[in-house]
Amino acid sequence: MRRLVEDAGTIFLREWLRYRRDRAYWVGQLAFPLVVVAFIGFGLNGVVRLPTGVDYLAHLASGILALVVGSGAVGGGMTLIQDRESGFLRALLVAPVSRASIVLGKIASRVVASLVLVLVLAAILATFTAVGLPHPAAMLLSVTAVTTAFVALGVALASQLRSLESFRLLAGLVTVPIYLLSGIFYPVSTLPAPTRWLAYANPLTYGVDLFRFGLVGVHELPLVASAAVLVLLTLATTAGSILIFDRRSLR
Amino acid sequence: MKRFGQVAALDGLSLRVARGSCFGLLGPNGAGKTTTVSVLTTLALADAGSAAVLGHDVVAERALVRRELGLVFQETTLDPELTAREQLDLHGRLYHLADRRKRVGEALALAGLEADADRPVRGFSGGMKRRLELVRGLLHRPRILFLDEPTLGLDVAARAGIWEELRRLRRTGEVTLFLTTHSMEEADALCDSLAIVDRGRVVAEGPPERLKAALGGDVVVLTLERAEPRDEILASLGALSGVTRVTHDGVESAEGVFRIVVANGPQRLPELLYAARPFGVREVLLHRPTLEHVFLHHTGHPFELGRRESEGRG
Repeated sequence: MRRLVEDAGTIFLREWLRYRRDRAYWVGQLAFPLVVVAFIGFGLNGVVRLPTGVDYLAHLASGILALVVGSGAVGGGMTLIQDRESGFLRALLVAPVSRASIVLGKIASRVVASLVLVLVLAAILATFTAVGLPHPAAMLLSVTAVTTAFVALGVALASQLRSLESFRLLAGLVTVPIYLLSGIFYPVSTLPAPTRWLAYANPLTYGVDLFRFGLVGVHELPLVASAAVLVLLTLATTAGSILIFDRRSLR
Repeated sequence: MKRFGQVAALDGLSLRVARGSCFGLLGPNGAGKTTTVSVLTTLALADAGSAAVLGHDVVAERALVRRELGLVFQETTLDPELTAREQLDLHGRLYHLADRRKRVGEALALAGLEADADRPVRGFSGGMKRRLELVRGLLHRPRILFLDEPTLGLDVAARAGIWEELRRLRRTGEVTLFLTTHSMEEADALCDSLAIVDRGRVVAEGPPERLKAALGGDVVVLTLERAEPRDEILASLGALSGVTRVTHDGVESAEGVFRIVVANGPQRLPELLYAARPFGVREVLLHRPTLEHVFLHHTGHPFELGRRESEGRG
């Protein structure tokens, strides 16, 4: 157990060294939500009235941050393809470290990267929107769960695919509907019946709702239900990605 | 036995490697060398059969095997974004080395990379990368080091550097070296013992000298001033120790060209010349058999480099 944590820490360190130097990642992840909020949020802010009582700018801003967390995390799975291409994965696989610690280290480094992004962006958005950090624990749980789930999704995709191009294409295809039906852009309770059920079946809906509670203080689903879904999601997707990675890395 | 779809990459391949020696797996591209290394280093599962490294089964005792082995691949396995020092430090952490810092410093010095230690590996030359891979593979002092085509794609100077380091390792006897190569020169220069593989099978096995000697030894071609008295010449040369066969093939000319198959040619040469002196020695040539001859002898086909359809799988 101690070894598992230590090894995961080593992988974490390595991933972190890479993220830290990846300027394109940070610039893109920081600029994208600000552009969306500025170019769409301001425009719709005067037009849209939300049942939750919060103004649209804050609703969209918090939702877009959740989207940034998700898309960044899927990219965490993509690093597996990069590692395979650079050959580094082989050096890792032949080392006396468990597959579990490799996956855990990757997830942990992404969670930390997500948190750094969210905190920086929330601080910027706080200067001109109603975004703040009234409930840090809710934000923390949501970011952890959403990041883990999307890293797992990335690992699952990466284990099937060989090239970065097909990864990007397929990741977009899979994640865009998940984003659209998760309450990022509008409260899901406003949807007509069949689509609303789909939204409730989407785990990201609970992540976005709890995340928004953390940053803006409003929510439309029971907090306990969201928290329970997210804890389960974190555990299930962690286990799932370890299993997939373990099975696919040896043949 | 290892299959990729319908193709049997390895089929009935059986090897035994002595501890502390340098063992070479020699074969053309596509012979199954990399696959063998993958199975032995726990990176691939064989479809049938078993293997043990340092007495540990490569499947059941995977974790133990991984701790004891070092591996240098034919393609780079470095993280291009990390510096040389970070690369080694990471390796030290993965192997839980207590004196990591000290060893990383020594390794950088050994690889001659101290000046470039804090640059990302992305900008390194092929030779620098391979040197870094080699010292990284040795950082945790493995008891067996696998080298898959360690000098493939390197220029002459870089290759000489790697050879020198491998020779030094071999002299210490502390680490068993298991290398694959398609270079007969490399196999001959570095290995105590060889297995020649072709199409997933071992066709010959033993020390390079013995493999070559098994072909009957060296060939000395003596050109004498005259071919007569032929029987007397044949008899006196054939009586020398180490000589297994003497033939005369100077049919067209008056001079006598005699072909002598002899074990350990260079040492026997003075005696041969002494025995031939009464008949007037005009010219002498010594041919030593190469591994190329060994390969040809055992497979019936030349050591081709281009079995392109399976290239890269080595």
